[in-house]
Amino acid sequence: MDVFSPELFLKIAFCAYGAGIVGSLLSLRHERAANLVGFASASLAALSGIGSALFALISGSAREAVAFELWPSSIPYVSLTLKLDPLSAFFVLIVSLLALALSVYSFGYVRGFYGRKNVAVLGAFYNALLLATTLVFTAANAFFFLIAWEIMALTAYCLISFEHEKAETRKAGVLYFIMSHIGTGCLILGFLLLFQVSGDYSFEGFRALGEKLSPARRDAAFLLFLFGFGVKAGIVPLHIWLPEAHPVAPSNVSALLSGVLIKTGIYGLTRVLFDFMGTPPNWWGVTVLTVGTVSALLGVLYALMEHDLKRLLAYHSIENIGIILMGLGASLMFLHTNHPVLATLALIAGLYHTINHAVFKSLLFLGAGAVLHATGTRNMEEMGGLIKRMPATAFCFLIGAVSISALPPLNGFVSEWLTYQSLLQGFGTTGSLVRLMFPLSGAMLALTGALAAACFVKAFGITFLAQPRSEEAAHAHEASPTMLLGMGLLTAACVFLGLFPTLFLKLLDPVTQQLTGQQIGTQLSLANRLALGNTQALGGTVSTLGIALMAVCLLPVPLVLWLFFGRRAQVRIGPTWDCGLRGLTPQMEYTATGFSKPIRMIFKALFRPHREVQREYDYSPYFAKTLRFESHIEEAFVTRLYRPLNRTILRLSRRMRALQAGSIQAYLIYIFITLLLLLIFAL
Amino acid sequence: MNFPHSELAAQWITLLAAGMLVIQMLMVVQGMLLTNIRLFALQSLMLAAIAAIIAFFHNAPHVYWVAGLTIVGKVFFLPWLLNRQVRRMQIHQEIEPLFNSTASMVLCGAFTLLGYIVARPFTSLERLGNNTLGIAITLLLTGFFLMFNRRKAITQVLALLTVENGVMLAAVALTTYGMPLVVELGIFFDVMVAVMVLGILVYRIRETFASMDVNKLSQLKG
Repeated sequence: MDVFSPELFLKIAFCAYGAGIVGSLLSLRHERAANLVGFASASLAALSGIGSALFALISGSAREAVAFELWPSSIPYVSLTLKLDPLSAFFVLIVSLLALALSVYSFGYVRGFYGRKNVAVLGAFYNALLLATTLVFTAANAFFFLIAWEIMALTAYCLISFEHEKAETRKAGVLYFIMSHIGTGCLILGFLLLFQVSGDYSFEGFRALGEKLSPARRDAAFLLFLFGFGVKAGIVPLHIWLPEAHPVAPSNVSALLSGVLIKTGIYGLTRVLFDFMGTPPNWWGVTVLTVGTVSALLGVLYALMEHDLKRLLAYHSIENIGIILMGLGASLMFLHTNHPVLATLALIAGLYHTINHAVFKSLLFLGAGAVLHATGTRNMEEMGGLIKRMPATAFCFLIGAVSISALPPLNGFVSEWLTYQSLLQGFGTTGSLVRLMFPLSGAMLALTGALAAACFVKAFGITFLAQPRSEEAAHAHEASPTMLLGMGLLTAACVFLGLFPTLFLKLLDPVTQQLTGQQIGTQLSLANRLALGNTQALGGTVSTLGIALMAVCLLPVPLVLWLFFGRRAQVRIGPTWDCGLRGLTPQMEYTATGFSKPIRMIFKALFRPHREVQREYDYSPYFAKTLRFESHIEEAFVTRLYRPLNRTILRLSRRMRALQAGSIQAYLIYIFITLLLLLIFAL
Repeated sequence: MNFPHSELAAQWITLLAAGMLVIQMLMVVQGMLLTNIRLFALQSLMLAAIAAIIAFFHNAPHVYWVAGLTIVGKVFFLPWLLNRQVRRMQIHQEIEPLFNSTASMVLCGAFTLLGYIVARPFTSLERLGNNTLGIAITLLLTGFFLMFNRRKAITQVLALLTVENGVMLAAVALTTYGMPLVVELGIFFDVMVAVMVLGILVYRIRETFASMDVNKLSQLKG
């Protein structure tokens, strides 16, 4: 059995991704072949990756973490070492799981690009992105990590700019590019700070380094990493690239970006904060928790205002990253107050939400992709009635929507419940005023959940229900079988993660063992129930499976009631009640903008809505000939934060330009003066 | 340092280094290009002599190489190259410098002072006379000054070469046997290539702008 090892599977995965890149590029002129080769290799690699990660996680607690060198390197300091420890394995599991579903989906989806765009290029970059992401999760030294990180950022840029003939896409791509590189700059600085103390680039050397750092340096490193990884994760206020970049990519790539790519930020934070930094000071946890709460709330509020289906989903990614960070932040606070079991609970909540979000967000993006494929638009105001034309897609999307709204019994509920529980337990852990953070963020999480539900009522209702609002929506067609299979896989994952959390929690045991030294998976799960009672004096119990079974049992109740009481009632079939008008038209439907109006009004201070109505009439304003309605909200972070910042930087740069006179003598004088000053200072 | 003649060697080296400084000052006030080139050749000859003295008195035969290369390169080849360049361009006099000659002298006096002050902590390290390092730093500073004081590209090339002479002098002053030969060769060829490139560039500037004034280069800026 020693032949089969996580290492072998991981190598197979790398080879298959590599083959996908080469194979796609070799069949540059044959789009069908490129599609088949590229995405088949990716599927194979993904299967192998899942195998490797599960193998490592299941046997991980017993065995040493798998470490090996990918390629002997002759450059000093650069070694291409990989390590599959439990945390890496968990994230490899996420990326591989999604890669499998997305690759299957892509077979059908990229057919839409035939004759229009080069599928081979898409396939090659898709494989390259997955390869780079897997390397990011498994790299065992800072140098290799940064190399993989950059490859990942650049391939993602290429994929975002895939439809570069549209100006909107180019703009989004450049924005992503800039933000991503600012983030990488911070990461490089952060790792250099650690390197100065450890003298070694390997993650092994960084382990528990926090205790050896001086407090100022440790705090500087924390802020640099929070900024650097935060940009990638899309936390508020570093999120502005996310709602621009994710929607413009092809939908299978959007799913990858939202599902996996922003999780690399979470991975990085977890790795650095829990693995490297030792026991954190209190304000770190408070900062992460605050950032998480703000991101969650603002993310969902902006999502509510969107009527572009994919942008809406992108804003929800910000919200969910916020929820994940709430878990991580709470965990850091518990570590500070020395409550390892609670810290583990909060960490589990964060990590569980990471995989949940990856699954349901990808599912939703794939659903949106199918809708986009069928109707050719991302604007919800032009959709409607799609449930009759694409029932399977609608079902998958509905499952995703229920999950993301954290309704029991699906997976979003499980992780958010865990997050609530850890936050509620937090109040008693400390006597200081900081404890108010816990109920406050818990309340904010509740508000976020409710708003998310409202948002998905809107997203699902406007998109799939009622009558079609456009010609394209009226002639929409169901997605192809491979696309449905891809979505089906993720739907199944949503249901599994929701109904059998106890099975999955066992996989997290080695991860928490590594990070907090605790294993509470078994205590948490009690005969298919999640029970806190075993770990804490206070605590709740919930069983999603039980809820599901109860729902199934209650299903026949109306039937029984009807059998007993309803038979006598008369059944009439008639048209929908139309208030006496002659026939209902799509124009009478609720619009996405209209649906979200109450919330826009409540949070007026944030959105600063602008509304303009122009009507032309002949004799009475009640009989308008034409009516033009315009409404938009202010993107506060762009207009209040980034534009002023931009302007300041440009103004400073213009001033700096005076230095660059273009005269050799001037340049020589600069050098000379510097030299003189240095000499004088050296005296 | 127990050579019978080491005292004599130190005195010779001090004398020659002082000569280099004097020549540098002459270059600062001299406007004629051809004379400047000759002065530079003379200065390089003195550097070569210093190197030869070190090689002889300290039994370091590889420093002879440095001396030889300096004579071949800086006394004959580069001055010949620059001479040809100047004759081809038919420009013999420097147009008005940034600072006039009086101000230049005063400034260079200040640089000399600074050079000596900066070198003071290291005088105990010097084994070849007390003043060499101070002079070397002064050559560096005044060379730099020469570079931005003049507008003709040729003079700037010359100034760069005097800076290089200063670096060489510092090298032989601070370490008994000079830098490792490889490093000296490296610097030497570096400067050689730089001069050739600049020579070609000067010619191009001249062809494009009908002038050698580097200020015209600012027209290239967007």
